Amino acid sequence: MSMLRGVNALRRINALRAGRLAYVGALILATAWLIVFPLYSHNIYWQGILFFSFLLAVMASGWNIISGWAGYISLGQSAFMGLGAYTTALLTLHLHRTPWLFVPVGGVLAAAVAALLGVVIMRTRGHSFVIITIAFLLILQLLALNLRGFTGGSTGLTMPITTFPRDWQYAPFYYVMLGLLLLAIAMSWAIRRTKFGTGLIAIREDEDKAGGVGINAPVYKVLAFAASAVLIGVAGGVYAYFITFVDYRGMFSIQYAVLIVLAALLGGRGTIMGPVLGAFAVQILQDQANQHFGSSQANIVVYGAVMAGVVLFLPRGLVPSVAEWARTYVARREEGLSGAIDLRPSAVPAVRDSEPGPVLLEVKGLTKTFGGLRAVDDLSFSVREGTITGLIGPNGSGKTTAFNLIDGMMRNEGGEVWLAGEQVDRLPPWSRAHAGLGRTFQITRLFREMTVLENVVAPLRDFRWRQLFADAVAGHEAERAEELLEFVGMRRFRDAQAAALSYGQQKLVELAQVLMLDPKVILLDEPAGGINPTLIERLVEKIRELNAMGKTFLIVEHNMPLVADLCDPVIVLARGTRIAEGTPAEIQRDPLVLDAYLGEGWAVEEAVGA
Amino acid sequence: MTGFVQTLVNGLLLGGVYALAASGLTLVFGVMNVINVAHGAMLILAAYLTYTIWSHTGIDPILSILITTPIMFGFGWLLYRVAIRRLAGTAASMSVLLTFAIALMIEGSLGLVYQGTFKSVTPSYFDTSMQVGPIYVTTARLYACATALVIIVCLFLVLTKTWVGRAIRASAQNPQVARLVGIDVKAVAAFAFALGVATTGAGGSLISVLYPFLPASHYQWISRLLGVIVLGGMGSLPGAVIGALAIGVGETMTTAYISPSWQTAVPYVVIFVVLLVRPQGILGRRTRQDIVTA
Repeated sequence: MSMLRGVNALRRINALRAGRLAYVGALILATAWLIVFPLYSHNIYWQGILFFSFLLAVMASGWNIISGWAGYISLGQSAFMGLGAYTTALLTLHLHRTPWLFVPVGGVLAAAVAALLGVVIMRTRGHSFVIITIAFLLILQLLALNLRGFTGGSTGLTMPITTFPRDWQYAPFYYVMLGLLLLAIAMSWAIRRTKFGTGLIAIREDEDKAGGVGINAPVYKVLAFAASAVLIGVAGGVYAYFITFVDYRGMFSIQYAVLIVLAALLGGRGTIMGPVLGAFAVQILQDQANQHFGSSQANIVVYGAVMAGVVLFLPRGLVPSVAEWARTYVARREEGLSGAIDLRPSAVPAVRDSEPGPVLLEVKGLTKTFGGLRAVDDLSFSVREGTITGLIGPNGSGKTTAFNLIDGMMRNEGGEVWLAGEQVDRLPPWSRAHAGLGRTFQITRLFREMTVLENVVAPLRDFRWRQLFADAVAGHEAERAEELLEFVGMRRFRDAQAAALSYGQQKLVELAQVLMLDPKVILLDEPAGGINPTLIERLVEKIRELNAMGKTFLIVEHNMPLVADLCDPVIVLARGTRIAEGTPAEIQRDPLVLDAYLGEGWAVEEAVGA
Repeated sequence: MTGFVQTLVNGLLLGGVYALAASGLTLVFGVMNVINVAHGAMLILAAYLTYTIWSHTGIDPILSILITTPIMFGFGWLLYRVAIRRLAGTAASMSVLLTFAIALMIEGSLGLVYQGTFKSVTPSYFDTSMQVGPIYVTTARLYACATALVIIVCLFLVLTKTWVGRAIRASAQNPQVARLVGIDVKAVAAFAFALGVATTGAGGSLISVLYPFLPASHYQWISRLLGVIVLGGMGSLPGAVIGALAIGVGETMTTAYISPSWQTAVPYVVIFVVLLVRPQGILGRRTRQDIVTA
């Protein structure tokens, strides 16, 4: 049985590997053909179509970095083409040198403007970002039109004629743009396999959660925006030289903004080759549409129809859909993944340190209101090192809000949070994670599109610039992640997609993910909520082991027998403030606690009685 | 001073029309959390409808609201049934891309039918004006603004005083609970979207008298209207009115005291400044984002 599975798995891996090999081989052949094409064919028409395909592919690849990976949709990405084009044109006209010299300057300027815009607008999310990108493109169009003395206004700027021999045809432009495209693909590939790339995907999947596991989202987003603009800026300069004419509508082009989105969407956003292949498809589609309808208006209808069709019926795009189809086709010949969990007793004895250590986490006078409601009201408590502290209270008593204030998901209005002698309540979530705070959620928040292993290696214990360029899954970290997965009994699922796991399994992976931060204090929000008794047992065992190894816990939980069994001390919240604290036995006898629960309509005998 | 008041009055009159044009955009956002990027294109579509009706039958463009509004309501309802409802449960970015695609299809179709040249609707009163004290008021602007305000008040009353209005707001705030208390959330969403699009019928008819338009004008309109609802607070109808008046005045002031060529910059600048300084806008509320409605 297990041997059969092994053979099947091997066959499956071989089939997938063969498929991937064929894909890569086809791409290499295609590249080779593109390189020799102008040498044997003097078909200037096709040289032109391919040049425009390269241009669009470079831009769609750039768009993919900010919109495909980081998930921030830009509807004005052609703004960077315009910036590059105007930069190259203006420098050429004023300095009277060959435009090739200034093409890179356009790229640098585009990246700088993108970074600056990024710094300014990165507080905005979702819809606001989209609106700003449209506004940004249109405002640049308006500037190019109105700053007549500088940009030539509506007449635009005319570039010098090329000086190379006529029989070279488009070859110089062709090769430069092809080179840019290869560079863009290399850049995408490099980004995807580094911490930077996985960080961007984490941001797309769940930006708050990404902050909670130590990812400095603003820096990542600004860099992604700059990276998405740089090659578009260079390509803009080349494009300007190619068509020898720069005007506000052609360069800060709404049509190109549309085509970029269409290409990336059609090919598959969030993949390396999707936007590139999509660009070729869109360019050829455009050419066909031109030949059949011969009107730009008809083209616009076609773009709209294709875009709507892709959004509605092929939302992930061609490349991921084909890959998915290949995977399921291969997987069908193999048995399904086993859902069983390894339940071997653990080797580490569960010994408990009876002497509580010094105060590790301290909350003083914490306050948060929502409208008129004081969700957390002058809340103070402390968690001593080495304890498993319980935090209980009726529904709506402010437990989860307290967690959100401690880990920085929300800003407190008053009070302080201290962690290991450092005040952290003004720090952003990722800095608190770096300072030693880890947190799981009431409803698990894994990065759903990533694999289990990618989820566990995603957390970052600090922020360093070099780290951005480190391999995402490699070396010591990957080993440690596998150890942690082993520890929670989820190692065999390392390559499964997080979204495919059961709820209880997700809770275990989330615990492993948090442990990757090597936190001093771990906040668990209802760890036992909604999972089966066997898994609860396992979870309790793991918490005990970790505690024995020196980890401190603060646990919100409604399962009172579990709290009584695991936690000491227990802090009781009601109406946003602490009403009692003590051992489980003391808490169960406290009249204030009984009152708080009874007041909320709780059956205390059943809940606390055990 | 008279010049200033004159400019102010012109701006407020325009702002009234902008408010109507933006009302559907903010309504749809408030109810469905969808930015209908095609809203501008729908306005232009309605303007062309008005143009066709007027040039063929001579029916007054403001009166033709009675025809364009039901047509656009039907268009919105159809669009919801065919496309928008399929968005339920997908990422917000998908709704932006889908409505963007719809905008392109409308733009291209209008271009095929009417060609890409400027059109305008010119009833007898379009270049007349009235004198009130020292102030001149363009007749068309006055009629358009008055009509717009009447329609906005009706819309506001529908949303606050009728059962269907309460159902719309309930579905917007908490679809799960709305379903529990017996509201057919899907039907309400379809109605709300159609109602939002229906406002472009009236808005487009009024715009057709005030501005020349071509298919690609929708980019300028959607930017202007986004500026309006961003400033007023996205999802708020009174906010849209305030935002619209402010942008209307901003545009006429810019034209009068800076230069007409910078007039179109006003909404863009507003968008940047508001999203940076007060992202929730004037009347928008910051809501709790932490409650999971699973």
